[in-house]
Amino acid sequence: MAQQTNNFSNWISQQIEADTTFTLSDAVRSPSRSRLAEGIFPTRKDEEWRYTPLGQILESSPDMDSRSAVTPEFINKLKDAMPQAHTLVFINGQYSENFSDNQTHLENAGLRISRFSQLNSTQLQMVEETILNAALTDDNIFQHITLGLAQNGLFIELAQNVDTQTTLHIIHISSAQGDTSFTNPVQVVRCGENSHLKMVEQFTSLGQAAVITVPASYIQMDKGAGLVHYKIGIENNETNHVSNTSVRVAESGTYQSHQYLLGSKLTRSNLEVSFTGPDGHAVLRGIYLGDENQHLDMRTYMDHAHPHCSSDQHFRGILNGHARGVFNGMVLVRKDAQKTDAQQTNKNLLLSRDARVDTKPQLEIFADDVKCAHGATIGELDPDALFYLQSRGIGKKDAALMLTRAFAAEISQEIELISLQDYLQDKIAASLNEIVNASI
Amino acid sequence: MLSIKNLQVSVEDKPILKGLNLEVKAGEIHAIMGPNGSGKSTLAHVLSGREGYRVDAGTAYYKGLNLLEMAPEIRAREGMFLAFQYPIEIPGVNNTSFLKKALNEIRKHNGEEELDAIDFLSLIKKQMNLVEMKENLLRRPVNQGFSGGEKKRNEILQMAVLNPTLAILDETDSGLDIDALRIVAGGVNKLRSADNAFVVITHYQRLLDYIVPDFVHVLSDGQIIKSGTKELALELEERGYDWLVDKAETQA
Ligand SMILES: Nc1ncnc2c1ncn2[C@@H]1O[C@H](COP(=O)(O)OP(=O)(O)OP(=O)(O)O)[C@@H](O)[C@H]1O
Ligand SMILES: [Mg+2]
Repeated sequence: MAQQTNNFSNWISQQIEADTTFTLSDAVRSPSRSRLAEGIFPTRKDEEWRYTPLGQILESSPDMDSRSAVTPEFINKLKDAMPQAHTLVFINGQYSENFSDNQTHLENAGLRISRFSQLNSTQLQMVEETILNAALTDDNIFQHITLGLAQNGLFIELAQNVDTQTTLHIIHISSAQGDTSFTNPVQVVRCGENSHLKMVEQFTSLGQAAVITVPASYIQMDKGAGLVHYKIGIENNETNHVSNTSVRVAESGTYQSHQYLLGSKLTRSNLEVSFTGPDGHAVLRGIYLGDENQHLDMRTYMDHAHPHCSSDQHFRGILNGHARGVFNGMVLVRKDAQKTDAQQTNKNLLLSRDARVDTKPQLEIFADDVKCAHGATIGELDPDALFYLQSRGIGKKDAALMLTRAFAAEISQEIELISLQDYLQDKIAASLNEIVNASI
Repeated sequence: MLSIKNLQVSVEDKPILKGLNLEVKAGEIHAIMGPNGSGKSTLAHVLSGREGYRVDAGTAYYKGLNLLEMAPEIRAREGMFLAFQYPIEIPGVNNTSFLKKALNEIRKHNGEEELDAIDFLSLIKKQMNLVEMKENLLRRPVNQGFSGGEKKRNEILQMAVLNPTLAILDETDSGLDIDALRIVAGGVNKLRSADNAFVVITHYQRLLDYIVPDFVHVLSDGQIIKSGTKELALELEERGYDWLVDKAETQA
């Protein structure tokens, strides 16, 4: 990495100087601030960043002067995806009392949701401990931006043995007009022993202004806990989104992640999952769907340090136009992680000549009694399958649409929340419809 | 119904069909036999519009339409059907919804009303009994994980549902056990009428005991070198193709 001065790092320095009101203590912030003070951003020469075009971010000096009004209609459409859920709405990083559901009944149910500004000292300690424990292997500058500039955040606590029937739906809306805006939501999740939770994080934009979104999530699951974690990105074509998620799964815990990158100028999603005890399970799923000049970058780091854990990853990309996809998945099986079962699959469908994908599934194994497999494919629509459908009377466009939808559906059909599955399949179908209509 | 004249087709600059003639009328069943690699599947594919074949000469008319200029889906909507020699698997596409979509595209093309889910289900249940296919196969993706015989039955099920005017069966009997063979043949015989026609490609005279053809043709090296009635099939079974092929070569 090389020192550069750019608008964005200058802007970050100004924010740090101007700031007085951070919730997090120096223990958490100092390391991040020192990193930020160096002002070092990765360049295309850094192996891990050589595919990711950061230019637009680095040229930005975010400034939010005006914003569009978020209407109830806009919110309701988003809520349709999860009509039964408990909804929390953040607009340009600010919690919206108006649009969020009342919280009291959730506390009774053993689920407690607090903003950082509301934390008592015990909670604050838990938050900071979780963040410090969850240091990312990929020590990238963006998580330091998130933490170093964090003014607020969300803390989700689930008491032990609580099996919440309610799904949490966390909606992040950017509604900036004009200049580039910036948000850096921090989220800390603690799942107590044998507790179970489903949560949906959704990132969306109102209007077409440029946005830099730099979220970070720190998740800690205690023994036997289960978390199903959905992340949906449907942002405008000017949004640059770089997210870091760190998950620690204790003995017999089960973590499921479903990521849908369906819209933005650039998204880079970095997901790290580590087992901190035996018998844990992780299921990681994802779809990245890009058109035009979009860049979608899906990264996973699966750390097996304990025996008898399993991880199963399946990510699929559909790229059209000049869009570019990246899948970079590392599975690390450490010496003591005997009887590990780790699977990783990445399949990509290129719908145009200029679309491209770089896939790099990696497996590093230091234990001897393990079952591991990984594989990646890049292909076009199968002409034999197209012909088969056509030979039955189905038009070429419809046939192409059926096949691309089917390609995505093999992932999305695993979404257990049916309303969410429908919502996402409709979104995917709408994008594919546009793509297929324009290209065939 | 189908009129093929002097059809010459090549694949990757290699001539495969070398002047093929065939006339099929409504109500007829034609069997095409011939050695491996003689061009039988090529003929079936060209007639149904698969890409990758170059027509160098000749014509093919179906119901008076210039077949070779039509998109594959239009041929299907006009009542053509190909039962594939090697039906492919289509992951993620549900067998039932695929077939419903296909049927409704054909009905739309013919100015008929589309079938709703309930009417379609009752139709498909009826036709499944015809081919004695297990119901769970309907809920699976098209042909995915089907056994060889199940794939062939699925082809016949599709044929029964789409009810084509001209069906080309490319070695539908290969890979079928005796019972399945009888069932598939029974399906064809039930669909058979004065208004439709079948072209049955096969290597085995056995099938023709069940589906009795009006004509038997021998396709060899891209040409039909002999046509006859069902007795020709018996003769081929006994004597193989060599005597015919040698004769054709001496004639050429
Ligand atoms: N895509 C292709 N590329 C090159 N050669 C091809 C291609 N498709 C067919 N051929 C060749 O064309 C010839 C005819 O093939 P075709 O499949 O029509 O034979 P067939 O009569 O159906 O044989 P079988 O009885 O084995 O099914 C063969 O020599 C085959 O190798
Ligand atoms: Mg063949």
